[in-house]
Amino acid sequence: MDVCTFEKVGIRGTNIVVLGVEKKSVAKLQDERTVRKICALDDHVCMAFAGLTADARVVINRARVECQSHKLTVEDPVTVEYITRFIATLKQKYTQSNGRRPFGISALIVGFDDDGISRLYQTDPSGTYHAWKANAIGRSAKTVREFLEKNYTEDAIASDSEAIKLAIKALLEVVQSGGKNIELAIIRRNQPLKMFSAKEVELYVTEIEKEKEEAEKKKSKKSV
Amino acid sequence: MAATFFGEVVKAPCRAGTEDEEEEEEGRRETPEDREVRLQLARKREVRLLRRQTKTSLEVSLLEKYPCSKFIIAIGNNAVAFLSSFVMNSGVWEEVGCAKLWNEWCRTTDTTHLSSTEAFCVFYHLKSNPSVFLCQCSCYVAEDQQYQWLEKVFGSCPRRNMQITILTCRHVTDYKTSESTGSLPSPFLRALKTQNFKDSACCPLLEQPNIVHDLPAAVLSYCQVWKIPAILYLCYTDVMKLDLITVEAFKPILSTRSLKGLVKNIPQSTEILKKLMTTNEIQSNIYT
Repeated sequence: MDVCTFEKVGIRGTNIVVLGVEKKSVAKLQDERTVRKICALDDHVCMAFAGLTADARVVINRARVECQSHKLTVEDPVTVEYITRFIATLKQKYTQSNGRRPFGISALIVGFDDDGISRLYQTDPSGTYHAWKANAIGRSAKTVREFLEKNYTEDAIASDSEAIKLAIKALLEVVQSGGKNIELAIIRRNQPLKMFSAKEVELYVTEIEKEKEEAEKKKSKKSV
Repeated sequence: MAATFFGEVVKAPCRAGTEDEEEEEEGRRETPEDREVRLQLARKREVRLLRRQTKTSLEVSLLEKYPCSKFIIAIGNNAVAFLSSFVMNSGVWEEVGCAKLWNEWCRTTDTTHLSSTEAFCVFYHLKSNPSVFLCQCSCYVAEDQQYQWLEKVFGSCPRRNMQITILTCRHVTDYKTSESTGSLPSPFLRALKTQNFKDSACCPLLEQPNIVHDLPAAVLSYCQVWKIPAILYLCYTDVMKLDLITVEAFKPILSTRSLKGLVKNIPQSTEILKKLMTTNEIQSNIYT
């Protein structure tokens, strides 16, 4: 089976969580809006997935129902960890049933809990889940993760715009043809999911490129 | 006759044939129609090596006709893309001939007019150094055709003073290892060389019990038997169709003696490779 998943990056900032995904080019006659990679599970939780789109649709539907069911039963919104555990348990069930195959998706789940702390979790087809400060999934996840390990610092995530720029920079490492192939979504504390338009992403990309040029100019001045 | 475990003696089936075979033989004798069908099939599956200009068959094998010091063979679309972008762009290569063949895996019914966009097997030599040969093979060569291909290319008594480099890809699910497959850094390279190949490989050697298949295995076995120094670079990948990351996995080979001197402008080659990818990209909706 050919695996050709596109990159997804998740970053946990102090006051913001960022999900960046590589946009895949759609066929000319295809409606772009029907190709969704970042999905809201509830007002305060969203997820990005890499793998089989159809499997993801089933998992997301189940997770969304569970979020509402939890709210009705317990009168509290789900914690990010709870819904991640639910998704992971669902995935694990399918690895241990006869006549079924595992869900072919890895997911990055981000959001804010009631206590105001940001969370980022990653699940994989085996049903394991782990909390991360920043992570990437997809074909070149290793390269992106190495970039994040080098550049994820307390300063980098202190401000919202720096966290967003870090996510974009991480994606630019592996995404071909730059900013127009990046989709971004953020959740700020006590605010709903916000999807960035292509223009807003371009603004950040131009800012990053400017900073890069200035850093290079400084370097060449120093060496002279 | 054979003795079983329990001490009784039974008549064992004999592969040499039984005595009352004469009656069966008459039915098995080949009719003229059978012979005709068999000959037709053999003709259809013949491997023909054609000269470039005249499109006539070569009388002798390719390497008997032209002297060769270095022969680089790319088998499979990713290996072919790698050589196209990195090696063929760095010099002037002239087409010497091509191999035309048909088998069940070919998606064409017309064996006489294979167009250049279909599966092909083309041979080039470097204009500035005509003893350096390159083969771009993107068609599947069936088991019964591999020997013919070797005969037509190498001949029945090849020279030993040449070096062969083979590049090919294989799906990572074929790679047997005691490590967890999830942790494999796919795509990755492995090498397998003949006894007479004295240089070192740029990647680890292929571990047991993994084996090489198809045409690369046939070429390597041939080189081992005829004591020709040859090395095979096998890229295990999770994407068998044309893929940028898989093609770039072959890059460590650029620093080896096999390809040194043949590669000049690497950044430009990377750009050419990217263009090749975008023109060939077929996006599927299954994966996100």
